[in-house]
Amino acid sequence: MATTRKKTTGKSKSPAGGVTADRELCLKMFRTMALQRAVEDRMVTMYRQGEMLGSVYTGHWHEAIAVGTAAAIRQGDFLCPLHRDVGAHLWRGMPPWQIMASFLGKATGPTGGRDGTLHYGRPDLNIYNPCSHVPDNVPVATGGAFAFKYRGEDGLALCYFGDGATGNGGYHEAMNIAAVMSLPCIFICENNQFAYSTPLRLTTHADFYKKAAGYGMPGVKVDGTDAVAVYEATAEAARRARAGEGPTLIECVTMRMHGHAEHDPASYVPREMLAEWAKRDPVELFAARLQKLGHATEAEIAAIRENVRQEALAARKKALGDPMPVATNIEEGVYAD
Amino acid sequence: MPTNKEQVAEEVTYLDAISQALAAEMERDESVFLMGEDVGQFGGAFKISKGFMERFGARRVVDTPIAENGFTGMAAGAAICGLRPVVEFQFADFISQAFDPIINVMARHHYRTGVPVPVTLRCPFGGRLRAGPTHSQSIESYFAHVPGLKIVAPATVEDAAGLLISSIRDNNPVLFLESKYLYRRLKVPAPLSLEPTPLGVAKVAREGTDVTLVSYSVGVQQGLEAAEVLAREGISVEVIDCRTLVPLDIDTIVKSVKKTSRAVVLHEAARRLGYGAEIASEIGEACFWFLDAPVTRIAALNTPIPTSPPLEDAVLPQTEEVIETLRKVARS
Repeated sequence: MATTRKKTTGKSKSPAGGVTADRELCLKMFRTMALQRAVEDRMVTMYRQGEMLGSVYTGHWHEAIAVGTAAAIRQGDFLCPLHRDVGAHLWRGMPPWQIMASFLGKATGPTGGRDGTLHYGRPDLNIYNPCSHVPDNVPVATGGAFAFKYRGEDGLALCYFGDGATGNGGYHEAMNIAAVMSLPCIFICENNQFAYSTPLRLTTHADFYKKAAGYGMPGVKVDGTDAVAVYEATAEAARRARAGEGPTLIECVTMRMHGHAEHDPASYVPREMLAEWAKRDPVELFAARLQKLGHATEAEIAAIRENVRQEALAARKKALGDPMPVATNIEEGVYAD
Repeated sequence: MPTNKEQVAEEVTYLDAISQALAAEMERDESVFLMGEDVGQFGGAFKISKGFMERFGARRVVDTPIAENGFTGMAAGAAICGLRPVVEFQFADFISQAFDPIINVMARHHYRTGVPVPVTLRCPFGGRLRAGPTHSQSIESYFAHVPGLKIVAPATVEDAAGLLISSIRDNNPVLFLESKYLYRRLKVPAPLSLEPTPLGVAKVAREGTDVTLVSYSVGVQQGLEAAEVLAREGISVEVIDCRTLVPLDIDTIVKSVKKTSRAVVLHEAARRLGYGAEIASEIGEACFWFLDAPVTRIAALNTPIPTSPPLEDAVLPQTEEVIETLRKVARS
């Protein structure tokens, strides 16, 4: 069958000397991580001010995963994110105001208010819009990977899921199918210690990355607070996928620093655990690394932080001012023409 | 009975029609492919895809693990990314393991995003093969409630081909319900037309004046048999073949009932909330002032479908019951 692999659109960089050698890439990654933090902090405030339709699901301490993965693949690859992955959306070009518009049920949200809150995506940016059910985006990602392979293209699919989602049978079926069919798919396990209130010990009896061996695919474990480590693991998985070597599971270990969503005070999380993880803020860690590498000064880092804070404020203002949808065409689009 | 296509080249069965239509669509459109359990090297449990592997190769005839949830979700993703998967469920009964990707991914995706999900879900369904409670089910009602899905149930050899072609070309998820019972029992002289039959257009399978029988799939064949018997008694039965349940061509049904002023709805699914309840309700709303008798349903008992012949026959509608009910309604 087709063995020549057509190039998909977009570039992904695998700089010589690793990602840290590329100042421009590092700064863009840092800015996107900082923007995720700023946007989510602003949305938490909006939630507390009673502006949001429902709760707000944040990705504090998931920024290195969202951005590190998205930066290591191409724009033409099929991205299947979840609610902790705002940074991946931002990396692809989703404007912050549009994410807020989704949480506000606005006409300008990615679904025009037909879906909302954390369910958004942009087909034009090759971002799948997931439904509530986890891990439904995982089998869907295998389908995207299948389509690339079917057409003889060297694109790949990348999906995210939490530790909790791995308990569902659909997850195992998708992993098994991806391995059996050698699909160009990257599975990103965001191990953030809790599935809503359920701690890891009630979710799994083995390390997630080790389970990859059971499907016959490589499984790697990385520090999910380290954007460089996440990027490099993803870049290697992408290389394998594009070379026809099949799927990879990457377990990114981090902590869910907020509740499942903002309505949840997460009283079930030991305070000392939060205190320990607070020392490992991925945004801070990357900022320090950039300074150490000589890619940015403290003043430059501060300027980026202020810049993204202003962007988040402006995003709120636009999103709040945008119109609500009108129900005149509510029955249209149930079926495609 | 010969099952090999070469031996019966002068005849085309309902099963052959599905096979020929599927092959023709795969020839016509490179983005169409078949996936499911045992569909490749084995040719499928019912041999719909016999010879496909040699003809189209493993890239387009995809054997999957036993993973209905996983491979149906995969089909959704492939369709979202531009392919047109045809998924074979080995038995319609197994589709329960794929409810989630069908209902929460496929059926809602276009409404939420504007991106079409063109998937054909082929489901060999129904009873009368002594296959028991988990191999004989009629699944249409589970899905008819879900906006965003289409449901197709051919009753004839010609429609098995024409409706499958339209289903594959449709830009929505379509449940294609294939009657296992009719697979090898129904045949027409070859060659078969491979032109698409539009979805959402019912057919008057037999014209009549005294009572309208509305059905789909195997029920239409039963209705035609019953109509033949009743014609000898001077009762004229009009048989309507719905062909597609979603969208339902209610206009053709209403037109017939207004003419005959009597309606019987027949299906093999269980009576309670069977699709007949929807059809009866639509008739009641549209034809109230035209009716000379209550709209009557004939359906399976509200039990699982037993295996042993005397038990299964007691649960599923039999032609004798169809004749009696039509006679009673026609004379009321």
